[in-house]
Amino acid sequence: MKLTQDVVQGGLFLAIGVVALLMALDYPLGTPGRMGPGFFPIMISALLALTGIGILLRARLGMSELIRLARSMPLFIVSGAIIAFGFLLDKLGLPLAVLLLCIGAATASVRFEWSWKAVAGAAVFSIVCGILFVTLLGLPIPLVGSWLPALGAP
Amino acid sequence: MDIFSGLLLGLQTASTLTNFTYCFAGVLLGTAVGVLPGLGPIATISMLLPFTFGLPADTALIMLAGIFYGSQYGGSTTAILMNLPGEASSVVTTLDGHAMAKQGKAGRALAAAAIGSFFAGTVGTLFIVIAAPLLAGMALSFGPTEYFSLIVLGLVTSMVLTSGSLLTGFGMVLLGMLLGMVGTDVNSGAARYTFGSPDLMDGLNFVVIATGIFGLGDVLANLENESTRAASIAKVSSLFPTRDDWRRMTGPILRGTGIGVLLGVLPGAGLLLSSFSAYALEKKISNHPDEFGKGAIEGVAAPEAANNAAAQTAFIPMLTLGLPGTATMALMIGALVVQGVQPGPNILVEQPALFWGLVVSMWIGNLLLLILNLPLVGLWAKLISIPYRYLFPLICVFTAIGVYSIRNSAFDVYLMTLFGVLGYVFRKAGAEPAPLILALILGPMAEEYLRRALLISHGNASVFFTSPVSIGTLLIAAVLLVSILLPSFRRVREEGLQEVD
Repeated sequence: MKLTQDVVQGGLFLAIGVVALLMALDYPLGTPGRMGPGFFPIMISALLALTGIGILLRARLGMSELIRLARSMPLFIVSGAIIAFGFLLDKLGLPLAVLLLCIGAATASVRFEWSWKAVAGAAVFSIVCGILFVTLLGLPIPLVGSWLPALGAP
Repeated sequence: MDIFSGLLLGLQTASTLTNFTYCFAGVLLGTAVGVLPGLGPIATISMLLPFTFGLPADTALIMLAGIFYGSQYGGSTTAILMNLPGEASSVVTTLDGHAMAKQGKAGRALAAAAIGSFFAGTVGTLFIVIAAPLLAGMALSFGPTEYFSLIVLGLVTSMVLTSGSLLTGFGMVLLGMLLGMVGTDVNSGAARYTFGSPDLMDGLNFVVIATGIFGLGDVLANLENESTRAASIAKVSSLFPTRDDWRRMTGPILRGTGIGVLLGVLPGAGLLLSSFSAYALEKKISNHPDEFGKGAIEGVAAPEAANNAAAQTAFIPMLTLGLPGTATMALMIGALVVQGVQPGPNILVEQPALFWGLVVSMWIGNLLLLILNLPLVGLWAKLISIPYRYLFPLICVFTAIGVYSIRNSAFDVYLMTLFGVLGYVFRKAGAEPAPLILALILGPMAEEYLRRALLISHGNASVFFTSPVSIGTLLIAAVLLVSILLPSFRRVREEGLQEVD
């Protein structure tokens, strides 16, 4: 089967619907008059699975567009950079984590090249972020993270 | 409380220096982020959300409303100057707006949009003043049955009015409802779909998911085709409409406002519907319909007025019923809940200062937009021309910090990344995510109202067909569903929605 939009949609809906249905079967069903926690999830996930089957059947008509992947690296680079940011935020402090995210995400661009100007710009931006979010807006994020005790974490 | 004392209270609330300043800041920030290509109101609001944390509820809501209008207007600016609609409802604006810009009339197109929006905003605000208390009064008599039917109508409308097939829209609604069930069931205390993770016990935060799908998902999709991104910006010349422009746009603005005010109240996608119908109406009654699509000022003024009027009146069901009609309003509810405010029919009685303050600052926000945007248009044009390779890392930073700051949780950042990837998959698969976002907020409400309605009726589902409000609402939903299957309506819908993505 070719990877068309309908196949992806239908497959996604069917898979999520079936998994959700199997999980929902463990929750008490109740009666229509006294719906238990399982009542609504079973209804919705069953409908979702059926919708998925419907879309998969439609996919056999071959009407929908083929999916083409032009470049998939940005997907991994950018997601990875953000996950690393989430992990490092309280350990490195906000400015350093922002700097890493900026540079890390930027490498995903086709036009990316190392230049001291861009790095300096990112550094200034991270300091501005630190001042803006932590000092001015008072978000409870450390400026100097727990991994940097040598710098005198507050 | 009658309308005049309400407005007076609102004026007192909105005109305090703090609230006015935040309204101003909201409008300015909203426009600045909203003009950035590819960032629609949803991504803009969710990125700017942390700026409202720590403010009192009324100030926060006023600033959010400012951000909302700013992002709307910013979207129109990008649509006109760059032919890049930030969201579905500005697609229509690109048709004639960008055509005007190519003819060197960008300034006049922007002015038409600003003037149309301001007029529509004023009328829309007046409409809220009159209609919201009435609806809130009515809503007090609504029981769970009526609410459930209204939710069904909202979900059906959002399915009908998105691009792509009805079946896809239905699937996205169901998926959104399923995601809404994650967490502790309010009624039984049972943990559902939490996979044993304590971070999921409170449910999925709406803002996290919206930011992921709309903010990050958009970045990921844009990066894939980065080299083909067009970047030509029209030059802005004279901002002043000519005498002929005024003559030509007065009627369209009035009619567009009328359409927008009425359609905006509808649950579903009132914004989109109103700008498309206003455009279609002008084209139909115009005595030079051939100019449409080639730079007719009516084709900018009417949909912009309709769009803005609808954006205004969309607040009515959100504030008085607690039911969001659009994905953006759903996000506003999410933001309100973060602030500890529960919208609903009681908001007028319990928090009159908040309600009336918001209404008055809506008008102030619209006035500020008119005053700010025309002189600042050069600045906005500069912002639009920032190359994407510098822009997208900043978007990543703001979305990540914004999501983290909701409850200082790294888990939410991971979750946002997951939904960013999912948003990318949705785009690749041609599935419009707006219905999912709406269903995420409406799903848990639907379950709760269904449970209560059936509890009262002892499990008898016929109760939905005996209450007049409920059966009326369900009938409208049924007519919408049937109409989409009719060939003539189908054609109009496909024509109207084909460019939405």
